[in-house]
Amino acid sequence: MAHTDQKTALNQGAIIFIFLAVLTALEFFIAVAMDAVALLILVALVKAGLVVYYYMHIYRLNDEDGDDHETYAYKTGTNRVGLWLFLLSDAFVFGGLAVARFNLLGLTRPHLSQELGLLVTAVLLVSSFFMNRAEVSMEHGDRRGFLVSTAITLLLGVAFLAGVVGVEWPGAIHEGVTPSSSAAGAIFFMMTGMHAFHVLTGVIFLLVILRNGARGLYSAEKHWGVEAATVYWHFVDVVWIFFYPALYLIGSAI
Amino acid sequence: MRHFVIVAILVLVMSTLTYLGLDSSGLLPVQASEQAVPVDWLFNLQFITISFLFSLIIVPLVYSLVVFRRRPGETGDGKHFEGNTALEITWTAIPLFIVMGFAYLGAYSLGETRRVDPQAMVVNVTAQQFAWTFEYPDTGVVSSVLYLPEGKQALLKMTSRDVIHSFWVPEFRIKQDILPGRTTEYRITPTRVGDYKLRCAELCGTSHAYMLADVKVVSRADFDAWMAARAEEARAAADTPEGRGKTLVTQNGCLGCHSLDGTRGTGPTWFGLYGSQVSLSDGTTVTADEAFIAESILQPQAKFVAGYETIQMPVYQFTDEQIADIIAFIKTVK
Amino acid sequence: MKNMKPVWRGLVLLALGGALGYFLGLGLDALVSGSANFTAPLAGFFSLVVSVTGFFFGLVGYRGVTRGLVFQIIGTLAGGFFVTGLRALMGLKTFGPFFFTEPAWVVGGLVGTLSFLAGVGALTDWFKWALGESTPEHHTDEPGWQKYFNVSLDHKVIGVQYTITSIAVLGFGGIFALIFRTELAASQLQFLTTTFQAFDQNGLQFYNTLMSLHGMLMIVSILLGIAGVMNYLIPMLIGAQDMAFPRLNAFSFWIAVPAAVLLLSALFLGGFDTGWTGYPPLSTRSPLGVQMFFLGVFIAGWSSILGALNLIATVARMRARGMTAFRLPIFAWAAIATSIISLTATQLIGLSFQLVMFQRLLGMGFFDPAKGGNPVLFQHLFWFYSHPAVYVFVLPGLGVISELLPVFVRKPLFGYRWVAMSSLGIALVGFLVWAHHMFTSGMNEYLRVPFMYSTLLVAVPTGVKFFSWVATLWQGKISTPTPMLFVLGGIVVFLMGGLSGPPNATVSTDLHLHDTYFIVGHFHDTMFGGYIFPFFAAIYYWFPKATGRRMSEKLGKLHFWLMTPSFLVLTFAMMRVGLLGMRRRIADYDPALGFDLSHLIMTVAAYLIFTSVVIFLYNFFHSMKHGEQAEGNLWNSRSPEWQVPSPMPVHNYDHAFQVVGEPYDYGLEGSKYVEFIKHK
Repeated sequence: MAHTDQKTALNQGAIIFIFLAVLTALEFFIAVAMDAVALLILVALVKAGLVVYYYMHIYRLNDEDGDDHETYAYKTGTNRVGLWLFLLSDAFVFGGLAVARFNLLGLTRPHLSQELGLLVTAVLLVSSFFMNRAEVSMEHGDRRGFLVSTAITLLLGVAFLAGVVGVEWPGAIHEGVTPSSSAAGAIFFMMTGMHAFHVLTGVIFLLVILRNGARGLYSAEKHWGVEAATVYWHFVDVVWIFFYPALYLIGSAI
Repeated sequence: MRHFVIVAILVLVMSTLTYLGLDSSGLLPVQASEQAVPVDWLFNLQFITISFLFSLIIVPLVYSLVVFRRRPGETGDGKHFEGNTALEITWTAIPLFIVMGFAYLGAYSLGETRRVDPQAMVVNVTAQQFAWTFEYPDTGVVSSVLYLPEGKQALLKMTSRDVIHSFWVPEFRIKQDILPGRTTEYRITPTRVGDYKLRCAELCGTSHAYMLADVKVVSRADFDAWMAARAEEARAAADTPEGRGKTLVTQNGCLGCHSLDGTRGTGPTWFGLYGSQVSLSDGTTVTADEAFIAESILQPQAKFVAGYETIQMPVYQFTDEQIADIIAFIKTVK
Repeated sequence: MKNMKPVWRGLVLLALGGALGYFLGLGLDALVSGSANFTAPLAGFFSLVVSVTGFFFGLVGYRGVTRGLVFQIIGTLAGGFFVTGLRALMGLKTFGPFFFTEPAWVVGGLVGTLSFLAGVGALTDWFKWALGESTPEHHTDEPGWQKYFNVSLDHKVIGVQYTITSIAVLGFGGIFALIFRTELAASQLQFLTTTFQAFDQNGLQFYNTLMSLHGMLMIVSILLGIAGVMNYLIPMLIGAQDMAFPRLNAFSFWIAVPAAVLLLSALFLGGFDTGWTGYPPLSTRSPLGVQMFFLGVFIAGWSSILGALNLIATVARMRARGMTAFRLPIFAWAAIATSIISLTATQLIGLSFQLVMFQRLLGMGFFDPAKGGNPVLFQHLFWFYSHPAVYVFVLPGLGVISELLPVFVRKPLFGYRWVAMSSLGIALVGFLVWAHHMFTSGMNEYLRVPFMYSTLLVAVPTGVKFFSWVATLWQGKISTPTPMLFVLGGIVVFLMGGLSGPPNATVSTDLHLHDTYFIVGHFHDTMFGGYIFPFFAAIYYWFPKATGRRMSEKLGKLHFWLMTPSFLVLTFAMMRVGLLGMRRRIADYDPALGFDLSHLIMTVAAYLIFTSVVIFLYNFFHSMKHGEQAEGNLWNSRSPEWQVPSPMPVHNYDHAFQVVGEPYDYGLEGSKYVEFIKHK
């Protein structure tokens, strides 16, 4: 499985994280300083590309699994195809929401707390960093590293949920942006709600692999459950990479 | 080779017969507008093409079934050929050109239906479940029948009070949806004097089938006479409360749901309403006095007449005088 | 009761359950409203669910589907009472004319669906995995017919389950159509009058509910039917033991059952008057039924999405050795093309319906102009699925036509690669044409012409299919047993549907045709030609494979010769009155239009079609036990499944096969498609 040693792989994950952090800061400043929608979309695409390639390892779909359909490797390859097909399908839901957002609001956006938006985005980004560490650790048979990183990811996921549902929602409602106030409010709650629902399922998935990992059910060779949870978690992050600018950065607040 | 020649001849014969058959069976309603002309022209082209393509498939299909059928006692397979790339390219390319041609003609005829006459007469159309109201802004006349002068383009500015409706007079051909919260435009130039029916073409609820209005295309002189008479009537009505009330209920489409003759509509009838005992959904009974009627108009969800619990009446903003006028009119309905 | 045949026991309990549920619902409703309403929505709802549960209890006892349904009822009530309790605490309205309030019904419906899945046992293995337990790779089904009413992981069992469920739903949809078709036989209202009362609906409202449900039930039936055929055939045709994800496969099937129950419950819970399209703002003002309809479609959508996912993964990963892309059975190409659409686009109808549900529940203003919403947005989201969906329905059917033609013509499929690519072409172009349903909608005017171009493009790959079929027939040795008759019928009827398409595609003519009976005739032609006829062909053709017996040829031919002419008359009459001014979706039409005779003819034709389907059903169930034995290669096909005994062994092929030739080389001496590997 592992072609590189654990340290190199972890370092690569860290470098990607730094790139993502810098790009996130960059897009925040772009949004503050100028009115450049295309640039924001470009930055989001670059960020998503980095995550999809380096964290989600999309290229693994191309792995040669041999001719024997009964091996673990071949079955994992089939599972991988299934999971990516699912993500493709799910992406259409979020795509549809994005279309609805631009159709209804155009280049305006709901009035929201910028600090909180940046904060939850950062939390989710850091969680992806730890998720990557967890997977790399398991690939190299480092169970302790896997458990620690997964636990941190899980906590960050819960923190994200608390930030969005527990702080951001009541805050928005307090400011007069409610589900029934206007199309902007409706879109805001629908997009964050749909995303939060996915984060919640991801958290449950992480709980499952944390428990099963602690019981020693995964090994460096056989850990499809970990890979699936990882790819799913990063996917949810990719969705936020697009939703964050769509809700907080693009256009002018109304 | 012999097979091909026979099939080719049969295809031509069959195409001709099919087209003549279609053409003679009167496929379209009477043509009554300028805009219908390019539409019907394209329909005709479509029918010709359909007749040909229909024959092009059906004739060789039936011919094969007859000539190449397995005869009793026959065993063995058909002739082994797997395909012919030249043929495949041909029957990909030719249809491609045909459909692109049709797309061009479709755009062309669409353009023809949309010709703008800057002198067009504006009519404001309001659609609501399940009634139509027509207002002529030049004179302020409001009518539930759409009068149009022959040979003059009318520009209909249409909006809906509730759900999506669609404006369709089959004899005029073209159709346009009417949406709440925005105005859609519809240009029509009637060319034939007569009585037509406007039919709502977008499913709009329970009584969608009955969302009709009369359309009368009349000569310009008749139109002017009608308009003058209506305007005079409106002036006279404005002098009495019940006259003003009648104008208000026509303008606001109330009569689409509330009948004046006792028949059950979407809403309760107004026939003999004033002073009567009305059973409510909570089992109580009230007398339909001024206060009750005013409340029912301004806060339709406050009390429900028994049997009408699920109906959402639109909310109207009327002044006290207008309410008084409407009640004055309702008093006369018995 | 003990000694009765299970079917009779089931039917007795169906009747008893219906009565019991009715009085239960009546009592509960009376308790809340204080007066007895003999057509109370709740009485209808309970009558439906208890009778269905009773039927399955009599048939198979308390397990499998029965347990699922019991769980669904309990789950629905639990969810409903939970929300009602919350509302009571918050001081909101607790009960209404439909017993529960709308949010309580929606949550109840969702909880009920999940409960069904838990009760039937479709989630068991996944729960075990999550808890770190391992489960056997395959589960062995019990022998006999009872396995069809339990969770099975065998793709052949699931295929049959899908097919039977599809026929059951088809029956409901068909009967609904007959009811409103009868009302339409003459102008004016005959029995669905304004004084008619049922389940809180008057005659006009009931008509609208039946008409709307007919549309959606038929769509669900078609989705289940193609899933049945694809599930049964694909692993067999490509030499796999099973689908890639057998548990997901079972889940995809079983989630459709509670969805069907929810859809049917819309009929009782106030109905809805929106048509299957559910356009807001009308759907935001409809009675409660529209919520159950939206929820049912949303859940049925998951069945379709996950089934498609499984199918793509199966064809991508589970093929026999040597089965390269252009040696795939042509049906597999069609199945892939179909699955690409259902995997992705289905999410958009789910989303559009969800948005309306939320608008109703929470007042979210997506489609409310007063709040800055846009009703046309819904139409874009909706049609982004619902137009490609028609290709989902017809592509597998067209695949069946292409698959069976060479067998009965004894000649290779003409231009195999072109036919294969035309399926993909239709699917991909299909993604770009949705707005042709919206030419009159008031969307941005400049969109109309590009969408006209893309729509007309669909005619090109469709034409390739027709020309290739005719060229396949040319100089063949054609025999016409029942499956071939349905293949030919499919071609002719689909041709009628195809040729009536372009007038809808060119904008100016569509401005006349939109929302008329012409459209109704057009799409019934495409649905029958592209799905119903090939579906029947597939059943007549593969029935011996599934059962080891064949269906009666005599009754099959009677079915065909009764259905085809009636159907052509029906749709031709529909198109004709549509051109002349008959609108869609109306309970009553103006006698002045002079359509009475045409409608009478249509109604008679509809009854003849119904009769022919009853003949089919008799043939189907009778032949299961009493049909003529047919064990070998009945149709003299080259396809691998016919080279082994019927019915098919449990894990398909005892010896794996490899592909050594072209699939359809009929007439080429000594050629073979597959060769079995003797040693394993």
